[in-house]
Amino acid sequence: MTHQTHAYHMVNPSPWPLTGAFSALLLTSGLVMWFHYNSFTILYIGLLTNMLTMYQWWRDIVREGTYQGHHTPIVQKGLRYGMILFIVSEIFFFAGFFWAFYHSSLVPTHDLGGCWPPTGITPLNPLEVPLLNTSVLLASGVSITWAHHSLMEGKRNSMNQALLITIILGVYFTALQTSEYLETSFSISDGIYGSTFFMATGFHGLHVIIGTSFLTVCLLRQFKFHFTSKHHFGFEAAAWYWHFVDVVWLFLYVSIYWWGS
Amino acid sequence: MLRNLLALRQVTQRTISTTSRRHFENKVPEKQKLFQEDNGIPVHLKGGASDALLYRLTMALTLGGTVYAIYQLAMASFPKKQN
Repeated sequence: MTHQTHAYHMVNPSPWPLTGAFSALLLTSGLVMWFHYNSFTILYIGLLTNMLTMYQWWRDIVREGTYQGHHTPIVQKGLRYGMILFIVSEIFFFAGFFWAFYHSSLVPTHDLGGCWPPTGITPLNPLEVPLLNTSVLLASGVSITWAHHSLMEGKRNSMNQALLITIILGVYFTALQTSEYLETSFSISDGIYGSTFFMATGFHGLHVIIGTSFLTVCLLRQFKFHFTSKHHFGFEAAAWYWHFVDVVWLFLYVSIYWWGS
Repeated sequence: MLRNLLALRQVTQRTISTTSRRHFENKVPEKQKLFQEDNGIPVHLKGGASDALLYRLTMALTLGGTVYAIYQLAMASFPKKQN
C-alpha cells in the first residue's frame, strides 16, 4: 500500500497510446484504400477507433484530475505548458497556408493575368457574410471571457449561460461558413486562388468545429460540477484554443477576404 | 509537503446549486470515493464493468482492423496476372 510522497503524477499504464497509434495507421491506410481501391472499410474502422481512443483517453484524464486529485499545481503547470506548445504548433501549421497565399497573391503569375484576384475569379464580398462571421467570432470571444469571470466568481448560472452562448455562436459561424461555401462561384480546383482559399478557410473551419466540441465537453463537465472557482484548467485550455481560432479568422479575413478581393 | 498533498486530495467544496430546477446533482464526491479506492485497478478500468467492455471493443477493432489492413497491403503488393 505504498503511496507517493511527491506532488508529481505517475500515470497508470494505459492502452490508449497504442490504440491511438494503430488508429492512425488505419486512418492513413484507409485513405489509400478509399483513393485507390474504392473501399471504405478500413477508413471507417480507423475513424471509429480514433474516436474511441480520444473519448477514453480524455475521460481518463478527467478521472485522474477531478476524481483522483492528481492535478496538483505543479502538474497543472505542465499541462499549461503542454497546451501552449500545442497551440504554437498549430500557429506554425496555419503559417504554412498563409505563406502559400501571400507567395501566390503578392506576385501573381502571367497565367493568372498578372493580377489578384486572378482573371475570371469573382471573390466573395468581404462586407457581407464574412463580416458577419467576424462579428460572430469576436462576440464569442467576449462571451467566453464572461463565462470565465463568472466561473471565477462562483456565479454558476451566469457561467452556464455564457458558455452556452459561446457554443451557439460557434455553431452559427460554422452554419454561415457552410452556406458561404455552397455560394461561391469558384471551387478548390479553380487554380491557385481556389486552392489557397479553401485550404486556409477549410482548415480554419475544422478548428472551429474542434473548438466548439471542446467547449461542449466543458459545458457538460460544468453541469456535472467538475470545475471549481480556483481550479478549472480544462476550461482555460478550451478558452485559449477558442481565442486562437478567433485570431486565425481575423488574419484570414484581413488577408484573404479583404486584401485579397 | 505531504500535508499539502492531502489537503489537495480533499478537493475544495463544491458549491451546491441554488437553482430551483436541479437538472444535475453534484455526484463528484461519490466519484472521488470510487476512483480513490485502493484496489490497484488502473484508471481506464476503474469505473466498472462498462469500462472493460469499451476497452475490449476498442482493442478488438484496433487489432482486427490492423490485421485486415496488413492483409489488404499484402494483396495490393502482388497484383493479379491479367490474361
